[in-house]
Amino acid sequence: MRQILAIFTKDARRFWPEILVSFVLLAALVQVYPMQWTEPGMIHSNIGWFGISGGPSGVFAACLVALVPISWWILIARLVHCERLVGDTQFWITRPYEWPKLLAGKMLFLAIFLYVPFFAAQCLLLDSGGFHPFSYLPGLLLNLVYLTAVVVLPLAALSALTTGFGRLTLLILGVLLFIVLAVIVSDYLPSSSFGSVPDVVSGKLALGILLSGFAAIVLVQYARHRIRLAWLLLAAVAAGLWAIAIFDPDQALMARHYPPAASPVQFLYASGGVTNGTNSKDLLSVSIPMRESGVAEGEAVIPVALKVNVEGPGGASWQSSWQGITSQRYLAGASDTATTFVMPRAVYDRFKRIPVTLRIAFALVQAHRDFVRLVSLPAGDFTVAGFGVCKAQSWTGNINDSSGIGCRSAMNQPRLTYIAVQWTEGRCAEAATESSSQIRGTAWAGEIDPAPAEFGITPVWDTPVNISNPWQTYHQDESPQGRVLCLGSPVSFTQFREMARTQTDLVIRDFHLPDLSVGDRFMLLTH
Amino acid sequence: MTSAIRTRNLERRFGRTKALDGIDLDVPEGAVYAVVGANGAGKTTLIKVLMNILHATSGTAETLGMDARKLSGKAFQQIGYVSENQETPEWMTTGQMLSYYRSFYPQWDRGLEQQLVHTFGLPLDRKLKHLSRGMRMKACFASSLAYRPALIVLDEPFSGLDPLVRDELIEVLIDRAPETTIFLSSHDLAEIESFSSHVGYLENGRLLFSEEMGDVMERFREVTITVNGPASRPDRPPESWLQVEAADSIARFVHSRFSGGTASEVAEYFPSARDIRFEPMSLRAIFLAVAKSNRVSSTSAPIVDAAKEVEV
Repeated sequence: MRQILAIFTKDARRFWPEILVSFVLLAALVQVYPMQWTEPGMIHSNIGWFGISGGPSGVFAACLVALVPISWWILIARLVHCERLVGDTQFWITRPYEWPKLLAGKMLFLAIFLYVPFFAAQCLLLDSGGFHPFSYLPGLLLNLVYLTAVVVLPLAALSALTTGFGRLTLLILGVLLFIVLAVIVSDYLPSSSFGSVPDVVSGKLALGILLSGFAAIVLVQYARHRIRLAWLLLAAVAAGLWAIAIFDPDQALMARHYPPAASPVQFLYASGGVTNGTNSKDLLSVSIPMRESGVAEGEAVIPVALKVNVEGPGGASWQSSWQGITSQRYLAGASDTATTFVMPRAVYDRFKRIPVTLRIAFALVQAHRDFVRLVSLPAGDFTVAGFGVCKAQSWTGNINDSSGIGCRSAMNQPRLTYIAVQWTEGRCAEAATESSSQIRGTAWAGEIDPAPAEFGITPVWDTPVNISNPWQTYHQDESPQGRVLCLGSPVSFTQFREMARTQTDLVIRDFHLPDLSVGDRFMLLTH
Repeated sequence: MTSAIRTRNLERRFGRTKALDGIDLDVPEGAVYAVVGANGAGKTTLIKVLMNILHATSGTAETLGMDARKLSGKAFQQIGYVSENQETPEWMTTGQMLSYYRSFYPQWDRGLEQQLVHTFGLPLDRKLKHLSRGMRMKACFASSLAYRPALIVLDEPFSGLDPLVRDELIEVLIDRAPETTIFLSSHDLAEIESFSSHVGYLENGRLLFSEEMGDVMERFREVTITVNGPASRPDRPPESWLQVEAADSIARFVHSRFSGGTASEVAEYFPSARDIRFEPMSLRAIFLAVAKSNRVSSTSAPIVDAAKEVEV
């Protein structure tokens, strides 16, 4: 323990400027980030994992959210390079350093000067956002694991492979270049156009590879100083992550995770509709008009992926891989939508002139209503238990005529929630005296099965609430007028909880693939 | 006698280059062993293998009875290592460095530390990066001696230092010598000669000889023969004669196996000799003779043979 403390104290004494900068940035973030929640007149928009909203304070907060990890990058690099692991002239390699104690000293440093401040900042931000931190302890702890996997271990491992900050920066640039190349190469693969299927094991596998791979690099370097082995491990991590991206293991597990069962929804092919195409040279998309019905009252059905089987006469057939579906949710009652799938141009050419049997397998999530919260729209923040904290917002800054609702949630997007509002035509003051028409607006927000946390420098996430029917009907020579939400108008939040995962088939016989017409850039398929 | 350092058929390659080529070395406990050799001879590589900074390609190396490849952690509590190429924690003051290292050595002797600080005149409040090279080397010595290590390993410790600093360091080493084993590499042959008990000569990765300093000084002699008439170089001089040359009536060479019977042996080759003188040589003169002889002949066979006969 004496050696651990000696190393820790030495590092703390040496790196106090770096520690101070990191603290100041984090403290500034805690101060600035919540300001965006009080800014009037902004509809929140999400900017990646930064979880940042628009507006002046949002821009400043975005800068801080970027600067905090950079300060950690410098801190971790300096910490590891202080007793660098590459080379043969370091002052410490012929001293009685015991590698587990050296590593423990470094970990103690990170725990006190990185993890504790980060955890405290997360708690303070949650509190500022209207969330009780201790209610989100599992998410907070999971975020520390993510921080380790995404920031700390990779930076420590790359630092352990380099002799100084300059070389580390070059290596990081190399890693970024690899990622860019991997994405470019992936884009050339047909599977990239199919959309990702729901993450069942891929994410956990990638997290496991990140954690174990980078931890192995750090251990190999601290325990053995085996630089070649460490580089091989880095290559293995890169190859492993790339393999997951290319050969999505969730594809193979879809049948297991979405077993065939009685369908919670009936699909009907509404023949004669228009289908359209895609801008890819080798791929076409086919949209099929559908009518969905039969969803039980109090339930929602969410299609998450589909797989298409085309069977022609004489046994000729083609089967797609699972293709992701987004933005479709079915409630009780009938609804008309279009189901779109992607197929290679060569397959289209094979089957375009002949009647085929189209078999579409849908992977479905069946969810039941968990709760309904009814709110009379207030002027300020209002808490929707189980969902988040919301606020009426206006483009004009006039909160009496709100243009929508902005919400924020803790640690992650909330569970899938159906939001219904009453739009008012015109202005609310006029509507109170005149008999104004009320238009229903709805929105889906949140995710089907959110994890306790999603990695973020800040723990408060903006939840996009895109309510339907926001514009009044207008003639061609009129400028569009927005509808408004009036204070006191009813807003309902219906949250759904996953109940079952199923797979169901829709079979369309004598289906004719639509003709192809080529436009400027888009190829249109018309039936 | 137990060996503080022992290697057998030690080999280290860098690609196709053999930096160490079949080194068999025994450094007895309590010895002050100096390994000498030209630049690139393999001295630093040998020390790095012994300190587990580099791994041997083949062969074995033991340091304080431990396989050098397993040397780590607590084993270094018994070893003091100072190298001219070694980095120092330059952001620390001398006092902070000593205080920091203190926690790594349970046997750290505060009294000896203060004595060394006083002897070297170390400024405790100055950062190492602001110290002169000599002062920094003194600080390294102080931090490597204050825990009374059983083995002190020094890689070119006097390189680039002024004579005053060298003398100070050597005096301290001489003080410590009775209670430790010292293994050092150096070009500073005059200083080495003054306090080393053993010497080894490395050339192109091969240990050409390794023996007690007294034996080396005893068996190397500069021989000057004055003959009647013009002197000529013998056609086939013995292998133990190095750098044989003749001019006018005088012939000279270095005898690497001097003994009581050498005079009659020389007389056989120079029958007209009227005077034969045997002068003791300094270590520097021996080093130069051996080095030049090997470069000229491009074979080290004579000296290797000598080493085999007089291995420590």
